[in-house]
Amino acid sequence: MNELCLEINSANKSFPGVKALDQANFKLKKGSIHALLGENGAGKSTLIKIITGVHKQDSGLLLINGKEKILNTPNDATKFGISVVHQERNLIRRFSVGENLMLNNLPKTALGLIDYDKIAIQSKKWLEIMDLDIDPNTTVSELTVAKMQLCEIAKALSLKAEILLLDEPTSSLSPQESENLFSLLRKIVRDEGVSIVFVSHKLEEVFNICDEVTVLRDGKNACTSESINNLDRKKLVKLMIGREEQIVKSDRKSDDNKDAILTLTNIKTELGHKDIQLELNRAEIIGLYGLVGAGRTELVKCLIGLEKITAGSVKINGKDVTIDSPKTALEKFKIGYISEDRKKEGLILIHNVLDNTSITIWSQIKRAIGLVTDKMIADKINPYISELEVKTPSIYQLISNLSGGNQQKISVAKWLAAGTDILIIDEPTVGIDIKTKAYLHKLIIELADKGTSIILISSDMPEMISLSDKIIVMKDFQIAGIVENDHSYDSVSAEIMEYIHK
Amino acid sequence: MNIKLTSLFKKDWFGLLIVVLISIFIIATIKPTFLSPFNLYVLMVSTSYMLIIALAQMIIIAIGQMNLSVGAIGGLVAISFSGLMEVYQISVPMAVLMGLLIGVGCGFLNGYITVKSGISAFIITLATLYIFKGINLGVTEAEPFYNIPETVKNFGNAKVGNTPIPFLIVIPIVITFLMWIFMNRTETGRHMLAYGNSIQSAELLGISSSKVVISAHVISGLLAAIAGMLVVCRLQLGTPNIGDSWLLPSFAAPVIGGAILAGGKVDVIATALGVLIVAIISQALVIFKIDPFFVQIFLGLMILLAVFVNRYREYKQEVSRKIFNIE
Repeated sequence: MNELCLEINSANKSFPGVKALDQANFKLKKGSIHALLGENGAGKSTLIKIITGVHKQDSGLLLINGKEKILNTPNDATKFGISVVHQERNLIRRFSVGENLMLNNLPKTALGLIDYDKIAIQSKKWLEIMDLDIDPNTTVSELTVAKMQLCEIAKALSLKAEILLLDEPTSSLSPQESENLFSLLRKIVRDEGVSIVFVSHKLEEVFNICDEVTVLRDGKNACTSESINNLDRKKLVKLMIGREEQIVKSDRKSDDNKDAILTLTNIKTELGHKDIQLELNRAEIIGLYGLVGAGRTELVKCLIGLEKITAGSVKINGKDVTIDSPKTALEKFKIGYISEDRKKEGLILIHNVLDNTSITIWSQIKRAIGLVTDKMIADKINPYISELEVKTPSIYQLISNLSGGNQQKISVAKWLAAGTDILIIDEPTVGIDIKTKAYLHKLIIELADKGTSIILISSDMPEMISLSDKIIVMKDFQIAGIVENDHSYDSVSAEIMEYIHK
Repeated sequence: MNIKLTSLFKKDWFGLLIVVLISIFIIATIKPTFLSPFNLYVLMVSTSYMLIIALAQMIIIAIGQMNLSVGAIGGLVAISFSGLMEVYQISVPMAVLMGLLIGVGCGFLNGYITVKSGISAFIITLATLYIFKGINLGVTEAEPFYNIPETVKNFGNAKVGNTPIPFLIVIPIVITFLMWIFMNRTETGRHMLAYGNSIQSAELLGISSSKVVISAHVISGLLAAIAGMLVVCRLQLGTPNIGDSWLLPSFAAPVIGGAILAGGKVDVIATALGVLIVAIISQALVIFKIDPFFVQIFLGLMILLAVFVNRYREYKQEVSRKIFNIE
């Protein structure tokens, strides 16, 4: 069982100005689950792109089942049995599940036309392997994110994949859904003879499911095929960042003079929320925790006026208010929202840092006739850019050229510049490396210490527990329970899980 | 597969079919002459070539692009078709074949340049629009070809048996049927829709972008060519301004039929019904003796209504998914 199904020997790859891979090695044993780790910029994605035929290495060998192969296109990789399940969902949303699964090889009738009955029968087989009890005729857009993910894996299997590459597969799954995914992954490794390369930022998952670990740092191997049994979290983090993890210790104590800035009473919304009660005090961080689909993001969207609140009262500083649009939320009540989907909803990727940061303040600084000059904006935003240590050559750099962590900082800077009293932060650290994550955590705490009230939505339990003063657990668009957070991981997480699975 | 009424309501064409039936019923009740053989004949003639023009645009919308040159291709083919017969005395079948080849060639050019340059089809077809139209005007010097062979003229006037059904509409109906099969039952058609839904996903699935884009433009050019020749049959002459007024109506019908301009969602039957609705409304306004100058206002209102209805339906589905699809 120790033969290698995929091997990369001393691969080098350079891009203009960067050496992305420097003598990198990777060895995947047949029938194993292998973690590929590294911080953003460590060369992980370059290695993945070489394995999947998107890029070609400048030098070095790639062997599949012991034989040297040259992958010129992603198609070649598929042909040799390598399939990727990307972070971005890659199903055709308007097509049925069955058609998506069979799209590369649609069964045809004698006349050469597509045979939809056969599609349903053939795809059913792959759905069953993934324990998916769904009708193959269901349209993909009707599925939950977790099920889409399982469909993608089913699709990869249907392509006769022997090597499956999972890129951050759990980033939008709840813990329960992740657990389900893991048991299925173990099953397909055992039953279908698949080998898996697992890329994740969540180390808990790596320890949960992987057999071996390869860590890249600055394009070089920090370790190659190390057995998971020889590692612990501390060692792994040290391998990844070259030093030990700095855990943000929050020594915040809840303020004595409780000064409620936002109060929600008996809120109902058109999206289906019921009986929502919530009190946010000045300089407090409250966390909204729950499974994906519990209605957390939806709740804050109703709060800032993107969707309608149908009953109940919203009080800000003790006064009843109606927030009918994000514009009112920002300009009148100083509520800012940092979206979980920073690429789609938070930032305008093809605009530069200046434009993105100042978007929230144009209306504040425009002159009488509505003109805004770059200089006026720059004066206003530069303090925030430097305070957050955004790494950008200039404020005229395009957002799309910044790293994920720096993009997130711009999202935050944007709302800081607007001078918000209440900041809603949705999944701030998804897909962000450990170093930047710790930095963002520190930043959130500092913001609260300076008087901003924060609503934090996160599916990352350690993050939730280290940052929040109070954790509100949501389930099925209702509040399942409230946990006073004393920052002791074991007891608080147990209490949260109890509310979720009650 | 058992078809339930609720699943019928989800189809784009079902609502339109009801609109068509209701409007025919209302108009015929007020003005029974609406259903007179002559009137039905006129209605079908005007539907015939518009149907093909709408499909020529629809297939490009399917891949998330636009073809501004549909009318220019149709016009170029129309004058080539009639010119070849009048000036060079080429036989009708040969001239039809040449016309089709020119359409395919123009479509291929659109697709090929779009793929190779990576520039949006909107801009490429804007350029080719002028080129095709320029060739058209250069060749004809804005003079129509009048000497169309009798066979062609007869075809343009022929009716199916003793019915008021014009022969002109037979070809568009067959083409609509073939297009339905193409978009729903063939691999290339499905790949086009997949590409329209998400270029990135389609490429990861190993679908060849260039193949998809070029074939869509080739089919679009072919359909525009057929429409151009049908118009020659109907007008009984080949004038250089054929195709000049096609562009905006070519978008109207697919959009009324629920197509999304971003790509990935088109419906052949709904597009055909969209053409029919536009024709019925225009016809009704004539019957009710409403000033023809006002027809466009109604057309505009129709489009607005259609997109609002579609938007509302999508919104409803979105909300119901948000509420019911929670695990």
